[in-house]
Amino acid sequence: MITLGKTERRARMLRTKPWTPYLYLAPVSLLMLFVFGYPLIAIFDFSTRRIRGASGPFIGLENYRQIFKDEVFQQAILHNAQLLLAVPILVIVGIVLAVLLYERVAGWRIYRTILFAPFIIAIPVIGIVFSNMLSLNGAVNELLRAVGLDFLALDWLGSAQMALWSVMAIIIWHEMGFGVVLFLARLLSLNEEIQEAARIDGAGWWQRLWYVTIPQLKDVTEFYAVVSVITMLAWVFPFVYVMTRGGPGNATQVMELYIFNFAFRNSLPGIASAVAVILFLITLALMIPLFQLRARTEMEGIE
Amino acid sequence: MSGEVLRISRRDFIKLAASSAIAAGIYPFMRGAPNTAWAAGENLRMWWWGEQEAPGLEKWVKDSVAMFEKETGVTIEVTLQDTTTVISEFQTASAAGNAPDIQFLWNGIYHMESVWLGYLEPLNGLISDELLKEADATVLSIYQGKQYRLGWYAASPMWLYNKEMFDKAGLNADEPPTTWEGLLDACDKLKSKGFTPIVGGLKDGPWGEWYMGHALGPNLDTPAEALQLFIGELDWREPKYHEHWTKLEQLWKAGYMNEDMNSIDLYPGMDYFGAGKGAMTAIVIPTLGKQASMLGAEKVGLMVFPAGGKGKMNNKPIRDLQGLGISSQSQYKEIAAKFLEFLHTPERVQAIWTDSKALPTDASWDGTAIEDPLFREAWKTWVVNPDAVPYISNLMPVMFWTDAMFVNSQKIIAGEYNGEQAGENAQAVATKWREQNPDLLEHYQIWAEDLKL
Amino acid sequence: MSVREMRATLEEVHSATRVSVSRRRFDWSVIIKQLVLLLAAFTVLFPAYFMVITPLKTQEAYSLSKLGFPTQIYLGNFETALRGGRFFLWFGNSIILSVGAVALSTLVAAMGAFATSRMNFRGRNLLLSLISSLMVIPPVVMLIPLFLLLTRIKMTSTYPGAILVYAGLLAPFSVYLLNNFFRTIPHEIIESALMDGASPLDILFRIMLPLSAPALMTLITVNMLWVWNDLLIALVLLPEDSMRTLMVGITVFGSRYNADVPVSMAGMLMASVPIFLIYLFGQRYFIRGLVAGAIKG
Repeated sequence: MITLGKTERRARMLRTKPWTPYLYLAPVSLLMLFVFGYPLIAIFDFSTRRIRGASGPFIGLENYRQIFKDEVFQQAILHNAQLLLAVPILVIVGIVLAVLLYERVAGWRIYRTILFAPFIIAIPVIGIVFSNMLSLNGAVNELLRAVGLDFLALDWLGSAQMALWSVMAIIIWHEMGFGVVLFLARLLSLNEEIQEAARIDGAGWWQRLWYVTIPQLKDVTEFYAVVSVITMLAWVFPFVYVMTRGGPGNATQVMELYIFNFAFRNSLPGIASAVAVILFLITLALMIPLFQLRARTEMEGIE
Repeated sequence: MSGEVLRISRRDFIKLAASSAIAAGIYPFMRGAPNTAWAAGENLRMWWWGEQEAPGLEKWVKDSVAMFEKETGVTIEVTLQDTTTVISEFQTASAAGNAPDIQFLWNGIYHMESVWLGYLEPLNGLISDELLKEADATVLSIYQGKQYRLGWYAASPMWLYNKEMFDKAGLNADEPPTTWEGLLDACDKLKSKGFTPIVGGLKDGPWGEWYMGHALGPNLDTPAEALQLFIGELDWREPKYHEHWTKLEQLWKAGYMNEDMNSIDLYPGMDYFGAGKGAMTAIVIPTLGKQASMLGAEKVGLMVFPAGGKGKMNNKPIRDLQGLGISSQSQYKEIAAKFLEFLHTPERVQAIWTDSKALPTDASWDGTAIEDPLFREAWKTWVVNPDAVPYISNLMPVMFWTDAMFVNSQKIIAGEYNGEQAGENAQAVATKWREQNPDLLEHYQIWAEDLKL
Repeated sequence: MSVREMRATLEEVHSATRVSVSRRRFDWSVIIKQLVLLLAAFTVLFPAYFMVITPLKTQEAYSLSKLGFPTQIYLGNFETALRGGRFFLWFGNSIILSVGAVALSTLVAAMGAFATSRMNFRGRNLLLSLISSLMVIPPVVMLIPLFLLLTRIKMTSTYPGAILVYAGLLAPFSVYLLNNFFRTIPHEIIESALMDGASPLDILFRIMLPLSAPALMTLITVNMLWVWNDLLIALVLLPEDSMRTLMVGITVFGSRYNADVPVSMAGMLMASVPIFLIYLFGQRYFIRGLVAGAIKG
């Protein structure tokens, strides 16, 4: 996502025939209608029908009634909400590591390359590697036992108490690098003098972090937080699908997987569509702060 | 402000058109499979699955199609489907009026749903009664007296035991336990010798479905009883119907199973047996060869899970098989039927075994080609045995698999459920399914009546 | 901030810090900072170590020790993995899809962004914010109708079907980014081209796009990576075996060889090495591309 601001003065416009702009916009608009327009209308329609294959009779709000009384769906929403706890962790880890890199700690370039790498590794690969490493007799527990931490050698993905936390840790592992680089890039674009002034005034490391750096990172932090919230609510499918398929029990069930299962396993696309509608409304609600943020940063850019 | 007026010239239009034409023009070249010729003549489409569990079948399918094409001039376009979408893809395609002529079908509800939705053609009339009988596809393929699949290869679930370990534990290596007490006793002796009595992997789920099939069935008199449970005529909360989950809890708590059960998948769990790390495991027939070659065929014994049930289905081997059916939308039903008949000519049936070591299910196949005594026993007892019973897990739809069978077993192993709670959950899931699928429930009831006979 | 500026700042900062560090006495905080970074690097590298070391072991060696160094190097797992997985086919499919989708989305987005950034018309702002707001909607929301629609027109398991969907999902971000970039291009350049009789399309293709090369590189990198790494859409819209992408292939491969961890890891390693090499050599584009969003122009 982009918040390139209108730092330039408003660009000057070309004079065209009245219909020329529309002609240029036609292909992308058609594509948008196909990929977003039709489906977003269709899910509302589907969610009120008992779809068999591709269509079915109108049943009002029955699908919604079904999902709200389904314990599995309640768990799915709850798990998505629980995953939101990863957002502050991502922000804190991102800022701390970015600040360390920014201070040119010896070897910072190598660290940067290493820390960003997980973000480009394919999620199925990550999922399969971690599944093997985290099994009861896997590499992680072997390491823990070797250093005498036997009591920590848990069934990371196989026990209902740990599974969601393990999945969350792996998502953090994957997403962390993005935050680091994001914050680092922002830090590099900031005015050095304020930091320097604070240093000369005798402010310690923590004071500078707390009173200078963090306030300066405010807009990026907000942006990153919103993006991460959306990730945790609606982009965790591949992790769960590859590592646990929602199990054990329903311990790692999430909304996306619930949609997938109802649409393509239980042959009830109507119910899946009702969940899609809910997910759509949730993201819509989250979009509002995101665009307010963006509008504000753009305003700041103009000033 | 600049004063130029931008105009779209004719040249621009041509360029614009050209770029979209390029975009559009790439498509035909990018098409994955040339299915454009379809509907122009006698071109049939067949969607199938099975290479995944019986490697070698793809060769068999390709050979069969080539031979049939040569003989008749009809072309058949073959597509190997993905495991996750075998069921839903056919239903969706049917709803969109785009179904293949021939479709691979799992047993029971996995094709019965399509029957009820009108997507499958009854084979009676299209295929001779004689062949329908010879290549029967178990009673779970029949609805209202009509047969909807032709059997292909065996997929019977069964149990294996390690004869050497039995021997070392002082058990009779030629007579595996047949009662629940016998099983517990065997487990105890095996455990005291340092062997893991039962091995399996439950992380991906299907072990839970296998377990229910092996352990609930023996408490029932007929498959219809399982259907009655599902449609609400019987209650999962009655001890008889969730006792098998209580027994699972018992096995787990006694330490008779591998401790990483919940953190490994079905196949790795099974391979513990082949690797000599466990004394008993559940398999399906197509995987017998691998386990036997891993462990050494002489050490492998075959057994029926001694669930200690009180029903008529107790201690009976289970017979299950994969099959093929014909779409009700096919314009070439007769040709499709001819092809299915061709697949059941003696030469082709024999080739199933030679190409893939999957066991053909045709009654006409005499099995003399099976030299391996282990496979011979498996074939005799689990494929052509008239005493064998259907696999009851196949009567429950996917939702019951994932939300009840998988979840119950996983939660019992995770210490979250006891047998009773598992029964309550099963009841709740069945109720949920009925509420969400009122249009299919009626058919389920008719099917239950069918199966009672 | 442009690349050059960014690099300049970087150099400045670099030399400044060096001076200040050398002026200081030995500092405990340096050790703590190093420890924190080492810990973070360790958590990243530990799975990588596992992925590299495991395929070199036989299954027996693996079951004895999951972490130890192999006593002797065994390469048979790679052979098995190559025979068991159709990696070349999967790579090919993924390349066709990501190149096709990125090309199509870039083309239509560039045309659209040209209009929204450089032409005046009614509803310009509305259309622009409508299109760019679509980028927040998760694809899973649209998946069911798209699947049913593609099934109806017989386009599941075809390249064009999937390319259209991917291109559509990429377009909102592309329009947004290009729109903002096009705005920064000085009007004088366009004006002089117009004097020379250039048509609007000439301006788009000969001026706007070449001048936007950095933004385009960014866009292409981000979008390619997005399509390359998608699992959900490929899983649903390309169910046919021969149409699998690398991501779906890896997933299926992983569950097929879940009983043989060394072979499974050999497959994971082979699937990751090409991307990792591209990352190492094209790091600048990757990193810049992915953070383009956070830094103001």
